Amino acid sequence: MNSQLLIPFWTIFKREVRRFMKVIFQTIATPLISSSLYLLIFGVSIGEKIDVGKGVSYLAFLIPGLVMMTVLRNSLENAVGSIVTSKFVGELEDLRMAPLSTTQIVWGNGLAAILRGVVVGVVTLGVGYLFFWIADHQIFPVRHPIILTLFLLIGGMAFAHLGLAICMLSTNFEQVSAINTFILLPLIYLGGVFFSLDQLHPFWQALSRFNPLLYMVNGVRFGMLGVSDVSLTLSFSVTIVTWVIFYSLAIWSLKKGSYKRW
Amino acid sequence: MDAPPLTIDHLTKYYGSLCAVDDVSFTIHPGEIFGLLGPNGAGKTSIISTITTLEEPTKGSVSVFGCDVTQNPRKAKQLTGCVPQELVHHGFFSLEEILEIHSGYYGCLNNQDRIDYLIQKLALNRHRHKKIKELSGGLKRRMMIAKALVHRPKLLLLDEPTAGVDIELRALLWDFVRELRLEGVSILLTTHYLEEAEALCDRVLFLDEGKLKLLGEPKYLIRELTEREVVMVLKHPAPPITHPHLVSQTDHQLVFRFAASKSMGELISELPLETKGIQDFIIREGKLEDAFQTIMRGQEDNE
Repeated sequence: MNSQLLIPFWTIFKREVRRFMKVIFQTIATPLISSSLYLLIFGVSIGEKIDVGKGVSYLAFLIPGLVMMTVLRNSLENAVGSIVTSKFVGELEDLRMAPLSTTQIVWGNGLAAILRGVVVGVVTLGVGYLFFWIADHQIFPVRHPIILTLFLLIGGMAFAHLGLAICMLSTNFEQVSAINTFILLPLIYLGGVFFSLDQLHPFWQALSRFNPLLYMVNGVRFGMLGVSDVSLTLSFSVTIVTWVIFYSLAIWSLKKGSYKRW
Repeated sequence: MDAPPLTIDHLTKYYGSLCAVDDVSFTIHPGEIFGLLGPNGAGKTSIISTITTLEEPTKGSVSVFGCDVTQNPRKAKQLTGCVPQELVHHGFFSLEEILEIHSGYYGCLNNQDRIDYLIQKLALNRHRHKKIKELSGGLKRRMMIAKALVHRPKLLLLDEPTAGVDIELRALLWDFVRELRLEGVSILLTTHYLEEAEALCDRVLFLDEGKLKLLGEPKYLIRELTEREVVMVLKHPAPPITHPHLVSQTDHQLVFRFAASKSMGELISELPLETKGIQDFIIREGKLEDAFQTIMRGQEDNE
C-alpha cells in the first residue's frame, strides 16, 4: 500500500493514543471507581434481591452490561474529547490544511478511540472478576470470546464514529453536551445494562427494541454468559448496521462539518 | 513544474450577503514574495482561507502549481504551507512532538533532520521539549512557521506573520523569509505594515473592501503614486521664488514636493538659481504608505 496513505493514518492514530496516554490516570481511574461503585451498590447490595430469571445472578448479569457501557462511553468520549479540544485551541484547522482524506481521519481517530474503550473495558472486566470472586468464589465465565470481541470492537467503533460526527457537526460545546445528556445518556441507561427486557412493562419493552444499545449490550452478555434477551443474529445485524450508519455519518460530517475554532 | 505557484482567478467570496472578496485575480511567479495589503476586513484572510480550503470560493477558482484546490485538494495541500494569523495552542504536546505529528500528516516519516534544521533556524532549540501552552506569543509564532515548513512546501502562505512580534524577532523572520525565497519557495504574505511589504515584497496588491485596488512592484508604486520632498539648502538668501512645486521658502531653505517620477535635474533647470549657490539637498523619498494613502484618497474623491 502507498506510504502516503498509511503514514498520515498512522500519525493520526498515534497522536490520539499519545493524547490519552498523557492523561492515562484519569482515563483509567474514573471508570475504575464508577464501575466499582455500580458493582458494589447494584451488583452486591441490591442485586441479591433481584432475580433476572436467566439462571444467572444479578451480579453476573450486570458485569457484561457495565463492560459494554464502559467501552461505548470511552470510545465516544475519546473521539469527542479529541475534536472538542482541537476545536477550542484551533488545532482542527491543521487537519483541514493538511492533505488528509476523510477516510484517514475517521479510521485513525476511530481506532484510537476504540483502543481506549477496550483498555478501559478490560479494566472494568477485571473489577468484575474481583467482585464475582468475592461474592461467588468462582471465576467469571467468558463463554464465547470471539463473539465478545466482535461486539466490543464493532460497537466501540460505532460510538467512536458517532462521537466524531457529533463534534464535527456541532457549532459550539453546548450542542455536544445537549446531545450527550438528552439522547445518549437515556439510550445508554435504557439499553439493557441494568435490567432484562422481561422485567419491563410491555410498552417500554417495545420501545427498548428500537434502541441499538440493547442489541450491543445483549451481544456482549451472550459472549460472556451465553444468555441474551434477543437473538444473536439480530443483535449482530443491528450492531453492524448501526456502525455502518455512524461511519457514513462521520465521513459525511468531515466533508461538510466545520473545522473552525470555537 | 511550469504552472505558477498560485493562480487566483476571478475569486469571489460571500459570507451570507457580505461580500468579502470581490472578483479578485492575480498570479504569483516562482520564487516571488508577493504582498497582500489592505486594512482590517479587506479580504486578505478570506483569500488565504480559500487557498487552504477552510472556505470554499463562491465564484472563481484557486490553483496551486496548476492543481485546483477544490478539485484536487490533496495535491495542492501537499505543496502549500500556511501560517495562520491566529495562534494555535496544542494543549497536550511539546514543540518537537507537534513537528513530528505535522510531518506525519504530510506523509514524511523520519523527518528529524528537517525538524532539527527548522528548530535551529528559528532559534527554538531551548524550547523544543516545552509544551506549546508554555511558550510565549513570539515563540508560538515561530513554532507555527516551523510547523508550516516541515514538509518542504513550495508555496508558503504567511497571514500577518509579524503582528504583535518584537523588533528582534521581526528581523529574524524577514531574514528567514528572504532565505526561503533563495531556496525557491514562493511566498504570499499578508500584512498591515507597509514598511514590511516595501522591504520584503517583489510585488504587492492593495485590497480594500474585497476589491483589488492596485497591483505592482513597490518601487514602481512609490514612483507613480507618491511625492518626494526635497529641501534645498542655499549658501546665500535667495529672492522670493514662485514655482508650482514650492511648498515653503525661508532665507536659506527652499522646500519642494513633487512626483517621484520627475527628475532633480528638471527641477533645478526650472529655477532661477545658480547651481553653485546650492549648499546641499535633503531628500525624503515617498513610502509605500503614502502610495496607499493616495489610492484611498483617490477612492474617497471618486465617491
